[in-house]
Amino acid sequence: MAAARRFPPRSGLSEVPLIEPTLDKIPRLAPGCRMTQSAELGSVLLMPESMLRLSGPGPRIVELCDGERAVAEVIAMLQSEFSDTEPEVISREVLAFLCSLQERRALNLE
Amino acid sequence: MKFVPRALIAEVTHRCPLHCVYCSNPLDMRSRAEELSTEEWQRVFGEAAALGVLQLHLTGGEPLARPDTAHLVKAGRDAGLYVNLITSGIRLAEDRLEGLVEAGLDHVQLSFQDSDQVEADEIAGTRAHAIKLELARRIRKHAIAFTMNLVVHRRNLARLPQMIAIAEELQVDKLEVANVQYYGWAFKNRKQLLPTREQLQETIAVVDAARERLKGRMRIDCVLPDYYARFPKACMSGWGQGLMLIDPAGVVLPCHAARVIPGLSFDNVQSKPLRWIWEESPAFQRFRGDEWMQEPCRSCERKSRDYGGCRCQAFLYTGDPDATDPVCSLAPGRKLIDAVIASTAATDSEGNEPRLLYRINPAHGGKRDPFV
Repeated sequence: MAAARRFPPRSGLSEVPLIEPTLDKIPRLAPGCRMTQSAELGSVLLMPESMLRLSGPGPRIVELCDGERAVAEVIAMLQSEFSDTEPEVISREVLAFLCSLQERRALNLE
Repeated sequence: MKFVPRALIAEVTHRCPLHCVYCSNPLDMRSRAEELSTEEWQRVFGEAAALGVLQLHLTGGEPLARPDTAHLVKAGRDAGLYVNLITSGIRLAEDRLEGLVEAGLDHVQLSFQDSDQVEADEIAGTRAHAIKLELARRIRKHAIAFTMNLVVHRRNLARLPQMIAIAEELQVDKLEVANVQYYGWAFKNRKQLLPTREQLQETIAVVDAARERLKGRMRIDCVLPDYYARFPKACMSGWGQGLMLIDPAGVVLPCHAARVIPGLSFDNVQSKPLRWIWEESPAFQRFRGDEWMQEPCRSCERKSRDYGGCRCQAFLYTGDPDATDPVCSLAPGRKLIDAVIASTAATDSEGNEPRLLYRINPAHGGKRDPFV
């Protein structure tokens, strides 16, 4: 199983996916991708023939990607829930996390 | 050390309408009469989930050869598992597909043999290619994940770009460019199927270019044949370390091929709890850790990464399941693999390649499998 990479760094232009998780996009888990709870691993994102152990704010972000809220709303909710963290840091990390899910084809952006 | 299984491969039947020359099933396949019942599988899925398994791969043979596939999907979901169906897609009519989706199917993996219909049907030993294309378009309309599995080898690698183009047209989420793994029927046909080194270099270039072009739209996984590797693969991520396979009759194995290894007695879910089989049965303990290893593995710094490679491959080539996997450049058996590579594409005095051996279940008297 791939180790959880919470917020992978971007390493240049070639890493930019075709669809950017811009603030107005509405994220939703792709068909065949869902979160489950494991006794030993905690929150796990199940995907076709792979799984990703979610840590830190990962499970909460995935939960908020419900196909209703836009990226901006997801960020705003997390900023209010984690008010002792710099809003800028949260914004950057959420975007990077959504980006990594999108690259794995685990997230659709509408 | 405690090992927790994360995936269960359930070979629910060995019946199949295809006769693919590289099938991973054992040569001595199970008959229909030996197959576990729906209720037995249901119990086993629950036992697997309790052990820590998260993902269930329903495969065969052709899992749709059983009339209860939707029940098996539902039993998997009810046990809390992620359910993947690995299928040839033959006889998957729309109402049956809808039933599988309603039962909770998460993911379908459909294999393709070639981009060329004649070549594809030749490898499958039956006319399946056109049916698969038609089904792929229907699968795409359902809210499930869809993986296309391209099985590649010497005879079709020249058409890899065309095969990738089909995946693109079908808008699959994930593409697996899977080189044949040389076990089971594929081992019998290895000299007919093993690619050349030049073909592999070309494969890597084609896959890299496609990954770049399709980034964010399609995920592409690529499996290369280990015969050309310098070091062995960490087969199954280690014997009995994270994965188990249950054959149609209920026998629990650490991998598809393990029954070839003599002297091991594999237990059956009909007579033993799955937890005992995983945690305590002698067969699952046999190659855990490194006590069993010989040199050069025993003192090798790579042993914690590749676990000495594949036990089945070691046995198939050297006759000794404790030997270092012969693909390893440090293994005394490496010359045996090099000899196979050297004989690739060898022809007889009239320029003909050896004939392909088709997968026919001897349990059914060498006749076509009884289907559904």
